[in-house]
Parts: sequence; structure tokens; C-alpha cells
Amino acid sequence: MNTLGRILLVEDDPKDVELTLTALDEYHLANEVVVASDGEQALDYLYYRGKYAQRNHENPAVLLLDLKLPKIDGLEVLKQIKSDEKLKLIPVVVLTSSREEKDMVASYKLGVNAYVVKPVDFHEFVNAIKEVGAFWAVINEPPPGSVGKR
Amino acid sequence: MNPSGINANESIVRASRVSMCLAQLPGYGLAVLSVVVAVGALLLLEHFGFRPPTGQLMLFAVAIIAWYGERGPSLFSLILAVLSMAYFFTGPHYDFHVASSELPYFISFASLATLIWWFSTVRRRLEQDLRRARDNLKVEVDERSSLLDLTHDSIFVRDLNARISYWNRGAEEFYGWTQKEATGKKSDDLLGTVFPMPFEEILSELQQTGYWEGELTHTKADGVQVIVASRWSLRRDQHGRPVAILQTSNDITARKRWEKEIQGLNQKLAQRSIALEASNKELEAFAYSISHDLRAPLRHIAGFAELLRKNAAASLNEKSQRYLTMILEAANRMGNLIDDLLAFSRISRAEAHKSFLDLGQVVQEVVAEVRQDAKQRNIKWKIDPLPACYGDRSMLRLAFVNLISNAVKFTRTRPQAEIEIGCTDQDRGDPLLFIRDNGVGFDMKYSNKLFGVFQRLHPQEAFEGTGIGLATVQRIVHRHGGRIWAESTVDGGATFYFSLPKITRS
Repeated sequence: MNTLGRILLVEDDPKDVELTLTALDEYHLANEVVVASDGEQALDYLYYRGKYAQRNHENPAVLLLDLKLPKIDGLEVLKQIKSDEKLKLIPVVVLTSSREEKDMVASYKLGVNAYVVKPVDFHEFVNAIKEVGAFWAVINEPPPGSVGKR
Repeated sequence: MNPSGINANESIVRASRVSMCLAQLPGYGLAVLSVVVAVGALLLLEHFGFRPPTGQLMLFAVAIIAWYGERGPSLFSLILAVLSMAYFFTGPHYDFHVASSELPYFISFASLATLIWWFSTVRRRLEQDLRRARDNLKVEVDERSSLLDLTHDSIFVRDLNARISYWNRGAEEFYGWTQKEATGKKSDDLLGTVFPMPFEEILSELQQTGYWEGELTHTKADGVQVIVASRWSLRRDQHGRPVAILQTSNDITARKRWEKEIQGLNQKLAQRSIALEASNKELEAFAYSISHDLRAPLRHIAGFAELLRKNAAASLNEKSQRYLTMILEAANRMGNLIDDLLAFSRISRAEAHKSFLDLGQVVQEVVAEVRQDAKQRNIKWKIDPLPACYGDRSMLRLAFVNLISNAVKFTRTRPQAEIEIGCTDQDRGDPLLFIRDNGVGFDMKYSNKLFGVFQRLHPQEAFEGTGIGLATVQRIVHRHGGRIWAESTVDGGATFYFSLPKITRS
């Protein structure tokens, strides 16, 4: 699970991680998820650094990115990905609590592929996560060089 | 000019000549008198056996009249004297015939008398010319100085030692010293002048350009300090040496005071706007933080409560199930409150992006959306044509969403709901929009609470809501420069009115 993942979830809050995984589990996608708990870890994963130095050389099919993160925040990570020739093809979905227009505009300017506000209502939340996960990790054809479907 | 005018002019000239002759009558009298007195005196002297100074006395008589009298009388006295000389004092006596032996004496007398008369006449003419020139000069000088007195500016002239030599009426009135009091005094001592720069610099600028201008502080006779805008001009003599300085001054004390006040106000304004900006930023950060950090725990409460219900459904009794439902309801309500509150605060924080827009279209969109959510309801819609307006589309849309969904919500108890949206032109020429429903209405007694944040006029069980919707609507209307109010009776429906400023195409 550490090395083979179609979904890279960047989320610092363990409760949110658990809820997201619960939602994804309905499509049996939970074991496809690699969790990075801050921006630095996410970049480490993408650049094969630190504990991810030995992982296989494929990009995730989608990156679910929270915006408020310790160390390096979500917008920073997004900027880094979209300005790197090797990483810019990875679909990035911002998954955030904030409905602030400022964040939305900044994300789209940086080239985000989708922007999803996590609903408070659990059913809505589960539906949103399920659909996002299903679309990007199952329905969508990821760019070449991404982790293939099993 | 017409002929009668010419005649009138001629008659005036003639009349003036006559009056001049009349005025000279005493002169002719005196001429006659002086000659008669001289002749009488000479005859008297002869009578008593003296040898009289005939020529000298007659010349004297002529000289007196020629000196003091006008041209006519003096010529007349000359002729009289010559005739008297021929008649009385040259042989043969008492005859105008002059004997040849007496001829040289008579001719020299006549020549001398003519010479005296002529000299006197020339002298008199010169004197008159001089006097006229002097009078003209005086008139001119008077006019000039009275011109300087006409101005409200205070003007004075000082020599290089600061002694005042001229002081106009403006200076008298402004400073409070009369011309007599000021003249001869040292100007800078009298006025207690405070210079904005060393006096030497002013002098050197004057020497170079002939001009200086600046603001001085003076003290008036009553001790009041004034600020004047002073302009100095250097006066030079014909050799180019500076001799005096002309100082013209205006009182700018009041202007200075206003300037200072305006400066102070501007400073205050700048401070205020900095403070405002800071508090706006704080508000922004606060809203941002709420948006991110407050919604996450709520989502967790709702999420895990839901998971608990799912996993433990079998082992939970009815009461516990109900508790879970209440937890979920509370979390959802809190989520709505936060969303509404953020939307409300965004209305004030966000910049309005105004454009021309069709309100009819906006309302159609909103009604279509609301209808989707109220499919099972029986609502009779009546939507009048609405005007175009100039405003922020998303804000006005939000206003209509709130008002129309309120109308839908509060007609819920009616078997046949009726909602009317229209426009009249009654608010001082501005378009006045209204949304009317036949719902439960409200008591006008509480109309002042209607638009307050978190103010609700119905219990939560009857009609759900956060109490922020109408506050948001009011803020949007106010940001567009309009007014909003409502009319209602309990159980008699409600009408919400709001005005939007008329479009003035410019």
C-alpha cells in the first residue's frame, strides 16, 4: 500500500483521512490510497525522497489535496507540481473545507483539475468523495506514466 | 454734431469771453487808477514847484499793473501811461503832440515802458505754465496715492534701514496704525516681523531679482498675530542703487488655519483608514479561519455520528437513535449557520462587480432553481416584467434567492401558495421591486427586528432558518444604494419592497 497507490491523499487531519477512506472504501479504493500528512511528505513521495526513495517509478492517477497543511501548504504543493514538467500531467483535485473564493481562484490559476468543497453533511460528503475517487481513479484515463489499474 | 449744436457751442464760447472781460473790469479800473494817481501826484509835485521824477513814476505805475494785472489791463495801463506822458509831461503840455526836442526822451520812455510790460507778460506766462504743470503733477500724484488707498492689500514703502516712508489706507486698516503713526518708524520693529529665513537671504534675493515673496508673521497694533503673504519689490534710483522696498501684504491667517485643520483631518483620516484596513484584514483572516477550521470538526461530528448509527444500528435503542439524529441535526444546522454567516460577511468584504443586467432574467433563474426544491408544492407564480439595472449580478441573485425562498418557505402552510414578483416606479422615480406572498406574515410590531442578524420571528420548529438571510438581503440592497422594508399582517401574507437606484446612462 505504501508503494502502489493510484490515489495520493494529502491530508493532515487523521479524522478526515479516516472519513475519506471510509467513503472510498465503498468503491474498494481505500487500499489504493497513499496518505501524506503534510505538503513536504507529498513532495517527498512525488520526488522519491526520504522514506519514499525506494517506491516504484510511477505517478499516482490522482492527487487529492487539502489546502491547509502543516509545513508546506496545499497551494504551494500545487504550484510545485504544475510547474514541474514531469509532474504537471498528474490530475490534482483540491479537497478542502473552505468555500473562500480567494482559494478557489488561486487554485484554478495554478492549474488545478477540480475543486471540491467537503460538505458538512456526511451523506453528501461520502457521495462527493466517492464520485471524485471513482471518476479520477476509475473512469478517467490517467496520463502515461501513471499507476495502472489492477 | 448738428448745426444747432455748433451754434450752442459758439454762444457758450462768446458768453465765456464776455464773462472773462467782465471779470477783468476791476483790473482795467486799477490800471486807470494807477495811471491817474501817478499823473495826479506828478501834477501836484509840479504845482508845488518840485521837479518831479516823471518817467520813473509813470514806469512804476505801468510796472505795478504789468506785474500784478492781467495782460489786457497791463497793456491798457501802458497805453494810458504813454498817452498821459505825451499829453501832460512832454512839450507842448496839454497836447498829444510831442515836440521834436522831447522826442528822444519820450521814445526812450515808451520803449522802456513797453519793455517792462513785455517782460512782465513773459514772466507771468512762465509762472502760469509752471503753476499749471505743478497742479497737473499734484493731481496725478494724488490720483496715484488714492489708487493705492483703494486696494484692500496693505502696502507700505520702507527704506533700506526699514524706515517707513509710505503707508496706505489698507495698511492703516489692517495693522491699526495711522499713516502718521507709522511713517518714520522701523517697519520690522513696529510689526514685530518674524521672517521665514534669514533677512540677509531675502536681501540678496531682492538685490538679484528685484523681487521677493514669502509668508511673514506680523503683530498688529492690538497685539493680534497674523500671517501674511508678503511680496517685496526693490526700488532703485537712476544710478541703479537700491533705495527703498515696496511691501504688499495679504492676510492669510484664516487660510493658514484652514490648511492646518485640513492637514490634521487628513492625518486623522489616514490613521482611520489604516486602522480600518487592519481590522478588515483581521476580519478577512477571521472569516478564512472559520471557513477552514470551524467546518472541519463539524464534518467530523456529523461523519462519525453517521458511521456510529450505521455500525451500531442493531445495538442502539430508539432513544439512542434519536440522540444521534439530534447530534446530526445540530451539526448540520451549525454548518448552515457558518455558511450563511460567511456569505453575509462576504457581502461586506467582497468588491462589488457592477454591470448592466436584466433583473427579469435573474429572477427567472432563481425561480427555476427554487421550483426544483419545491416540486411537491402547489405554488401559483405571478412574475411581472422587471427592469434592467446596474449592479453586482451574484449579489442581487443572492438577494432574490433569499427573498423568494423565504416566500416559498412561509407559504408552506397554505394549500394554494401565491407568490408575486413585480416592479413599480414609486420610490422617488427609482424602480421599486416587490415580492408578495400569501404566507403566514409577521407582526409589524417586530418589523425593526426583521433585518437583524440572527433575528427570527418564527420558532425553529415551525420554520427552519438561520436568521441571516434578510440581513444579507438588506446589506446587498444598501451596497447598491437602495432601501428595503416590508409590510405584513399576521396570517395575511407579507410584501418585501426594495429600491435600486435608477440607471443613469452617462
